[in-house]
Amino acid sequence: MDTDSVLIERSVYGRPDAFTEVVRRHEVAVHGFLARRAGRQVADDLLAEVWLRAFAGRGGYDPGRPDARPWLYGIARNVLRLHWRADRDDAHHAVTDSHDPWDDVVDRLDSTAQAGALLPALRALPPDERDVLLLVAWEQLTPAEAAEVLGIPQGTARSRLHRARAALRPVLARASHAEEDA
Amino acid sequence: MTPAEHPAPELDLLAAIGQVDPPDPIVLDAARETLWSAVAEEMLGGTVAEARTRGTGNRQAGERHREHPGP
Repeated sequence: MDTDSVLIERSVYGRPDAFTEVVRRHEVAVHGFLARRAGRQVADDLLAEVWLRAFAGRGGYDPGRPDARPWLYGIARNVLRLHWRADRDDAHHAVTDSHDPWDDVVDRLDSTAQAGALLPALRALPPDERDVLLLVAWEQLTPAEAAEVLGIPQGTARSRLHRARAALRPVLARASHAEEDA
Repeated sequence: MTPAEHPAPELDLLAAIGQVDPPDPIVLDAARETLWSAVAEEMLGGTVAEARTRGTGNRQAGERHREHPGP
């Protein structure tokens, strides 16, 4: 089976239709990325925009990366940010408004048992650390792949992940003790 | 694998609360159809572009437009 990078290269040089196979491979994952962060309806609405941007920008794909998922997540992340910005502008909020999309994410998550204890801690994390953590936990990326999505050095991604996990561990431990005591 | 990459309870729990249902196939089809329009446009447009650039070399073919996710 051809790697994503082979298909993307093929799509750049004479066979644009080869790109559709890359989309078929990752469409559920990219939709999940969007849905976890913005809800199912928004994911439905934005998925095509991700494909159009990816197709338009495929000439810049690094052929040394066989798996296109981190690249696609990076594009999906940009599309989401534009969506949130437009949403905010529509709501007549100031551009400097510090609205954190995470507030909406939390509202959609299952808030039971230990997860309930985890959510406030997640909300309190610096967004940069939370981004890396969720790419690893939700998208099952390695720290190196998360770094690629975010356009940051691998070492930075590892440090952020380490700090985020360190912040969450005591919260989980307390929640476990509370359950045992109950 | 570094310690930071080992499976851990907090990551497992996060993964669990981040579960979402798979998308409706109609949604996937619609998104693919939109992409197909762009693909078809480029395939047709490419023919015109080749005709236009014949004899001058296709300088743009080797150029790389980068879309970087950015921070």
